[in-house]
Parts: sequence; C-alpha cells; structure tokens
Amino acid sequence: MAILKVNNLHKSYGKIRALNGVSFSIPEGSVFGILGPNGSGKTTLLSIILNVLNADSGSYLWMDKEPTANLRKGIGSLLETPNFYHYLSAFDNLQIVQSISGRGTTEDIHTVLQQVNLSDRKYTKFSSYSLGMKQRLAIASALLGSPKVIVLDEPTNGLDPVGIAEIRDLIKFLSKRGHTVIMASHLLDEVEKVCTHVAILKLGNLITSGTVEDVLADDEVLEISAIDNNMLYNVLQQLSLVKKIIPLQDKLLLYFDKGTSDPVFVNEFCFKNGVVLNHLSIKRKRLEEKFFELTSN
Amino acid sequence: MLNILKTEWLKIRKYPAFWWIFGITILSYPGINYLLYFIYKNMTKSKDMASQVATAVLGSPFTFPEVFRTVAFTSSLFMTIPAILIIMLICNEYTYKTNRQNIIDGWSRNDFLLGKFFSVIIIATITASLGASVSLIIGFLNTNGTTIQHPFSQIKYLLFFYLQSFSQLSFAFLLGLLLKRAFITLGVYIFYSIILENILERFGIEYFYDNGRFLFLEISNRLTPLPTFISKFGQERYNTLAAQYQSHIWLTILYTAIFWGCSYIIIKKRDL
Repeated sequence: MAILKVNNLHKSYGKIRALNGVSFSIPEGSVFGILGPNGSGKTTLLSIILNVLNADSGSYLWMDKEPTANLRKGIGSLLETPNFYHYLSAFDNLQIVQSISGRGTTEDIHTVLQQVNLSDRKYTKFSSYSLGMKQRLAIASALLGSPKVIVLDEPTNGLDPVGIAEIRDLIKFLSKRGHTVIMASHLLDEVEKVCTHVAILKLGNLITSGTVEDVLADDEVLEISAIDNNMLYNVLQQLSLVKKIIPLQDKLLLYFDKGTSDPVFVNEFCFKNGVVLNHLSIKRKRLEEKFFELTSN
Repeated sequence: MLNILKTEWLKIRKYPAFWWIFGITILSYPGINYLLYFIYKNMTKSKDMASQVATAVLGSPFTFPEVFRTVAFTSSLFMTIPAILIIMLICNEYTYKTNRQNIIDGWSRNDFLLGKFFSVIIIATITASLGASVSLIIGFLNTNGTTIQHPFSQIKYLLFFYLQSFSQLSFAFLLGLLLKRAFITLGVYIFYSIILENILERFGIEYFYDNGRFLFLEISNRLTPLPTFISKFGQERYNTLAAQYQSHIWLTILYTAIFWGCSYIIIKKRDL
C-alpha cells in the first residue's frame, strides 16, 4: 500500500509556479527524502499534503483514502519552523498537540521529551528556548504517540552536529520499527545515509523519484587517467559509448548509460590507440553529485 | 466539541496577557456602573434644592426595572475591553503560526473556527453575566423599601446587551482574522467603533434618512438605548428607536451570521 499518492499537484503564488504537475507515491515503511534547491517547491508540497495550503489543482491520497482531519491526526509533522505557544512550556504545548491529535498519553509526552533531550527544560517557557531546542520540541511533537507516518521538513535545522547525528539515528530507528518517514532536507549527505527513496524537485517540477539506488544508477561513471590526459581525452572522444567526459583535476570522468560501461573494453580501446592508463576505477555516484547534475542549469 | 473546548482552555489557562485583560474586564463593568451609581447617589441623597432638581431630572435609573436599561447602556460603552481579548486570541494564533500547527496536528479548519466561535460565545456570556450581576446588585441596593410592580419588566435590555456583545465581539474576531496583527486590528477596531462609525452615523442622520443605523456596530448599539433620564431630552427619537427595535434585533442577528459566514469562507479558502 502507498502511504501517500500525489497526483498532478499544481500550486502558484501569483505568477510564480511553485508546483507544476507533481506526481509520485511513497511506499509504506520507506524513508522518503524530498530534495530540491531553495524555491523548488518542497515546503509547498508538504504544506499541501498537510492541508496548510490549498492546491490549485491535482489531488493526493493518504493511505489510499481522501485526506481528512482524522487521517491527519495519525501523522506526526514538523513543517518549516517550530510553531508553538510562546508563553507555554514544552510540556503544556505537547498537551495541546495531544488534545488535538489524540495521539499518546501524558506518559508519552515525558517519553518524547526525553527522546529529544528536553527533559530538563520541559517546564520552561517555549519563548526562552534556543533555535535548536525549539527544533527538538517540534520533533518531539511529531513523534508524540508514535504515529505511523512522520513528516519532517528540514528536521536538522538549527541543530549542532551531535543533534544532527541524533536525528539521523532516530530516523533510522523509526524506519526499523516500520514507520514511514517523509523528510525534506538540504543535507544530501544525511539524506543519502537515511533515505530509502528520494524525489528531486526543481522549480516546481519533479525531476526524478524512486529508490536511492535507482536514482543514482541511471548512469555509470568510470574514473580514469594517463600520463597525457589531453591525448586520452582525444582518444576517448572516438568512443561512441561514452555519453560525456568531464575532466576532474588529474583525472577524467566518463559517463555511460546504465549497463553500457565496460572497464576492460575501455582499457583495451585506450591501449590500442596508444594510451596506457595509470588509473581506472568504477566510480559510485553520490547523491550530492546526482543532485547537482539534475538541478544545475 | 468538548475536546475543542478543552484545547481552547489549554491555550489560555496559562496565558498571562489574557488573564490581565480578563481581570480588567471583570473589574471594569462593575467598576464603571458602581461609579455612576455612586455619583447618582451623591447627587440625590441630600435634601437641598439641587438634589431635588437632580432627582426630578434623573429619575430612578438605578432602581428596578430601569437599572437593567441603565447598566446595559453603560456596559455597552466598554465593549472595546472584551474585544481586545478576542482580537488577542485570534491574532496571536496568526503571529505565532499556531493556527497552522493546529491544522497540521489534526484539526480541520472548521474545528479551528469552532474553537474561536466558542471563545467568543463564552466571553460574550461572561460580559453579559457581569452586566446581569451588576444590575441585580445595584438594583437590590437601590430599591430597598420601594414597592415596584414589575421589577423585571426591562430585563430584556440585558438580553439585548448579550446579543450586542456577541455581535460586536464577532465583528472584532472577523477584523482580527482579516488583518492578522493584533496592534493593527486593535487600532482599526478602535478607530472604526469610536470615530468612523459615529461620524458615518451622524452623517446618515443628517443626509440619508438615518440609514447610518445599518452600520456594523450601530445596529446593535441601538439595542441598548440611552438611559431614560437622557432619552427625555430626545423623546421623539427614543420613541422612533423603540419602535424599530425588533428589526434591529433581526438585523443584528443577520449581521452576526454574516460575520461568521465571512470568517468561515476566509478560514476555508485562505492559505495558512
């Protein structure tokens, strides 16, 4: 079952198109990363599926059902900045979340506050919290009552490196326990470490989506070098299988379509054309590279 | 429904600014009425000529049944204080974006509106209850030893005051919802209720056959007419208003429904 199916969502702010026919689905139990540069439509997308914004057109289904307030009660969410009553403590704020959503008990409030290391300050007013503490409280609110689906928009905003690592471990832990986590983030390294699936947005358009492996494996890269890289570059241009050659410091990156790279053949081809390679390796593409490749102009 | 009320209670129970203004509301209604009662007593208590003239002119505005009309009128002059409470409650939700957090956490937009609707009803009820308590206390204090045939014949003015409170607080809520910022809303509310509408109403009387009465607040203001001793100086106008009060009731109800209808549309359609 898909936890969320998004179908052809459109949203504009005046003349600016924030979402332009975005469609994808999120499998149950996945950790789904939504990536994109600033202004790509990530938060707009999350705001629509959480009923904060109204879509101009298109639809979405939560757990194959029309979205309702009752369904949303079962989804723990953190959207953009933490929004809480500034004159209330963390505990009082979570009591309001509990009252609205019906998730969890008073005991659960204490548990989630402990989980995000806010136990010592749980009776202090929200207005006195640092940015990191506010973010932790927002995460605690999303986790309250152990919801089946958790939506996190930039969950590591304002957190120190230790906090970031803790959130990463927390997401992995939630995933192991069968929760579906939907997260938007700029931290590609973090996303690659925790996500099973990704969708990449650019200027409101969905560029790609799928499992992390599939998204990264749509082409293959070989890293090679020789004593004379200029000569090597000229020789490789005769090789029709190569999609693209990118010089990188003292090496060249060769891009092939998926399933067409053959290191042995490349080595032989270069040797036959008078170039002896001193380096040849299969390069595993990182999400960050893929992201820049897809989103750069 | 109980859950919505409980949540609204959780929001305000530890809100210091709310309780300060609530306290001012609680004190101001008995305070201003008692002050006027005190002045009246001082003016009329002695046996000299001036006191006798004052008694003849003022009548008995603080004895049953007239006390209801007097208190309803003087209390209605202080509607801005509970209006501040309402404006604060709605605007703070927008300032701190907690309204959107409520939706994210699982409320429908209707639930959010219903929560605020209950808050307006409760504050209007408290305001009217204060008016009722003050009327009864002053009435009993001042009617000692006097036999009055129909002591509660003017109690309808308390009900009108309740309707007026609910209508005007609903208007304050709609303004807060539209403008989102507490200081701006408060400024607009005070400017409109104290200055602009009075100018427009006067203008209406002078040039448009008194059609200024159809203004948002004026229509419900006319439900709580001036006390008898002031009306004496414009008996004809008072009689005209008294003859129109039924239509004013219906129009006040209609306007209040429109305020909430507009609030519903805004909450439903507007991005948070």
